[in-house]
Amino acid sequence: MTTPRTTTTAERSDGEVVDALRAALSADRVHTDDLELALYGRDASLLRGDAVAVCFPCTTAEVQSCVRIARQFGRPFTVRGSGTGLAGGAVPLGRPVLIVTTKMQQLVEVDLEDRIAWVEPGMLNLDLTRALRRHGYHFAPDPSSQQSCSVGGNVANNSGGPHCLAYGVTSAHVVALEVVLPNGDVTVLGGLDAEPAGLDLRGAFVGSEGCFGITTRVAVRLTPDPPAVLTLLADFLDPLDAVAAVSAIVAAGVVPAAIEMMDQRITQAAEAFVHAGYPTDAGAILLVEVDGLPGGVDAERAIVERVCTDHGARTVRIAVDEAERMLLWKGRKTAFGAVARIRPNYYLHDTVVPRTRLLEVLSKVYEIADRHDLIVMNVFHAGDGNLHPLLVFDAREPGVLDRVHAAGEEIVRVSLEAGGVLSGEHGIGLEKKPFMGWQFTQQDLDAQARIREAFDPEGIANPEKLLPEGSRCGDIAHLDAAHRERLLASGVWV
Amino acid sequence: MLHVHDDDLASCVGCGLCLPHCPTFRITGEERYSPRGRIEAMRQVHIGAKPVEASFVDMMDTCVQCRGCETACPSGVPFGRLMEGTRSTLAGGAVPGYQPWWRRIGYRMLSAHRAVVVGSRLLAVGQRVRLVPSRRLGLPDRLPLRERPLEPSGSDVWLYTGCVMDAWQRDVHRAALRVLRAAGVGVSLPRPVRGGGCCGALATHAGLLDVARVQAEATMRAFPGDAPILVDSAGCGAQLKDLGHLLGTPEAERFAARVVDIDEWLARHVDRLAPLARHDRIRRRVAVQDPCHLRHVQKVHLSVRTLLAPFVDLVELDDDGLCCGAGGAYAVLQPELAGDIRERKVAAVGRSGVSLVASANPGCSLHLSAAGLDVCHPVQLVDEAIHGGRA
Ligand SMILES: Cc1cc2nc3c(=O)[nH]c(=O)nc-3n(C[C@H](O)[C@H](O)[C@H](O)COP(=O)(O)OP(=O)(O)OC[C@H]3O[C@@H](n4cnc5c(N)ncnc54)[C@H](O)[C@@H]3O)c2cc1C
Ligand code: SF4
Ligand code: SF4
Repeated sequence: MTTPRTTTTAERSDGEVVDALRAALSADRVHTDDLELALYGRDASLLRGDAVAVCFPCTTAEVQSCVRIARQFGRPFTVRGSGTGLAGGAVPLGRPVLIVTTKMQQLVEVDLEDRIAWVEPGMLNLDLTRALRRHGYHFAPDPSSQQSCSVGGNVANNSGGPHCLAYGVTSAHVVALEVVLPNGDVTVLGGLDAEPAGLDLRGAFVGSEGCFGITTRVAVRLTPDPPAVLTLLADFLDPLDAVAAVSAIVAAGVVPAAIEMMDQRITQAAEAFVHAGYPTDAGAILLVEVDGLPGGVDAERAIVERVCTDHGARTVRIAVDEAERMLLWKGRKTAFGAVARIRPNYYLHDTVVPRTRLLEVLSKVYEIADRHDLIVMNVFHAGDGNLHPLLVFDAREPGVLDRVHAAGEEIVRVSLEAGGVLSGEHGIGLEKKPFMGWQFTQQDLDAQARIREAFDPEGIANPEKLLPEGSRCGDIAHLDAAHRERLLASGVWV
Repeated sequence: MLHVHDDDLASCVGCGLCLPHCPTFRITGEERYSPRGRIEAMRQVHIGAKPVEASFVDMMDTCVQCRGCETACPSGVPFGRLMEGTRSTLAGGAVPGYQPWWRRIGYRMLSAHRAVVVGSRLLAVGQRVRLVPSRRLGLPDRLPLRERPLEPSGSDVWLYTGCVMDAWQRDVHRAALRVLRAAGVGVSLPRPVRGGGCCGALATHAGLLDVARVQAEATMRAFPGDAPILVDSAGCGAQLKDLGHLLGTPEAERFAARVVDIDEWLARHVDRLAPLARHDRIRRRVAVQDPCHLRHVQKVHLSVRTLLAPFVDLVELDDDGLCCGAGGAYAVLQPELAGDIRERKVAAVGRSGVSLVASANPGCSLHLSAAGLDVCHPVQLVDEAIHGGRA
């Protein structure tokens, strides 16, 4: 005999939402299986949530239906691309309808005349670049996760990558966006004109982390492939010498396409995977890329070589062919993934500090990790001072998470004190939300909250992300004392 | 609890860098059909947070076991080992009827070489009288009715002949023998040992490790001595190289160390072969398809290029060596996904503009031929370059 179960209101309305979604999409593209929902609980961060259903729309109209249904049933919605985000942006909170873009991967149109391409949001960054290769172009933002992350995710996080030093981050490479707004309407932000009239809402949407709606088509700028490229690997015994060399390269008037730094631990972990011949006894290595016309490239190579040697580089290796170049980059680009060779979990911030303070902040980062008895591995975009101190640990060790968070907080604090900013490219999501108040004044936060409200007056798009509770001026006054205390305790208003 | 190591499960950091290298994720875009999702599902079941239900079984069964994710994973997650352990847990009683008796018997029967040959001949007759729907069963269009026996030529090396391959693709073995003879190498054929006709790869993939172990033991007895054992099937080669792990005995370790893929072995001796090519032949353009068990498991796929370079113009496919969907018995057990995965491969071949494909694994070549591609084994190309043959 089966035990009779009482159906709660929540369950009934779960069922109703799901039925409506299935009717709008199709039964096989709305999933509610318990185990599957657990898989969609997380992205590449440590945070977890729980969705009511996972939807796989194939068209803008279907995305629109998902949003409308969520709204109609009073549910929030969260959009997810490839789930490689490091800040918990795609983690479903408040049992939302989770809208996944992985079945929207078409390259819709390539317009060589205007040098733009329209792509669907689920298209993978590297797939796009590969598809453009035969035309002699690429998509310039190249996050280290580029083989896996989606263009929509890049837009939402305004992602950067090694080559954004010379080319700029995603925002500089997106000219227009088709967007499904939180009220279910479809609109196009930005345009193909160089100076579109009116407010730059496209600019506001890029970096909005799924809180302003869902982009369903992206017009990206095509960047011509450089005629010549050289990649150099300089190795230093002292990481601080490497940092000094970075500043000196820029001071010498060279703006390389990329300057990346990896310290000894991360170099060793990456080498164990790629076998690129990284010097594993070096204190740090720099990967420097110069590109442009062959003559210029050669001149810049000479300068970079000289500056590195002057700053104590033991050797400067130049990749002899494309295969070697790709191998050198592969180690850098898979570095985060390789950390499990040291410990199974990682936690990182991606603060940006002025290049001139890099030395000082980096030494403090090592000191902080030591003090908390943690291993820190540094791999970062040295050219623009964008740090990625990876704290690696084994979450199964009791109490370790508290130490990790404490150390993370201190790292953020020293970065901000050095005149830095909270996030270079990974986004705020959930992970860094508590620190927003450290960087922004109440007025700043209020302004941001107002923009968000303009896009999403009902607060249903990826709620609880990006802006801390109480960002609107006056919010804090409405909070009860206990809640205010909690916020203060978690550092929101420090 | 699954028969997997906690540390293996913990080594996945969830970064997602493996996603585009997984054929089933590429087709579906669904986390449940991705390496990261499968590992997370294993974790949930392993720690007891979720029960073993149909959904979990589906996630595991749809994995092609191509191990593309393993090569792509910077953290070194041993996915093959995790999947093998999980399937053996399922087959070991966690899911009643997971491997029904008739399938178990089927895997066991592969060792009985006479039976395989007779069975194949029956199928061949069935095809001739149109009783057997070849395409639907993933069979070659015209199975051989009667095959001449292979002739040994000495004792420098062994040639592993296998179960189904010997029945369906003896041509490949014959080409291998001719090429080896041309290189001045004497070849022995496996001793007839009861139950020694199958390497056990299919049983291992199905989670039937007990069946696989019996097959492995018998196989080892068919190759006495120290001579190298050359294998012209990437799937069998991968399995035989792993016998040390499967059986855990010093004899198995020693045996495994003697196993070499034939392309790998011939590539080492390519200097001896290259001068034998007939210069009146026109070089052909050939696309290389890397069998996953050569590329991701044995990791010797580059030797196919070394071997073929003197004889043909090689063309690389632009799909990063993504799996073709054959996966041993996968094409039969998951025909729909296998077909969709194959479409990507067929498209990649189409983009290359080449009509002839070289594949070092019988499963891949059957699967791809069934989609209308012209596929042959690399040693067949070398044989033709040396001895003439199809032009
Ligand atoms: C190994 C590794 C290396 C990385 N390296 C870098 C790096 O070098 N630079 C860098 O910037 N980042 C890096 N990241 C972080 C991450 O890859 C990027 O943030 C990436 O852009 C996320 O894309 P995604 O498709 O995975 O998005 P998801 O993680 O799925 O989502 C990220 C955010 O975007 C929103 N979103 C997704 N699709 C849409 C859409 N269509 N419309 C609106 N919002 C949407 C989500 O709601 C969420 O808030 C790295 C991550 C990993 C794991
Ligand atoms: S299997 Fe490896 S590549 Fe894939 S998510 Fe896990 S750690 Fe990353
Ligand atoms: S073995 Fe192949 S099919 Fe299975 S999860 Fe890994 S990449 Fe995907």
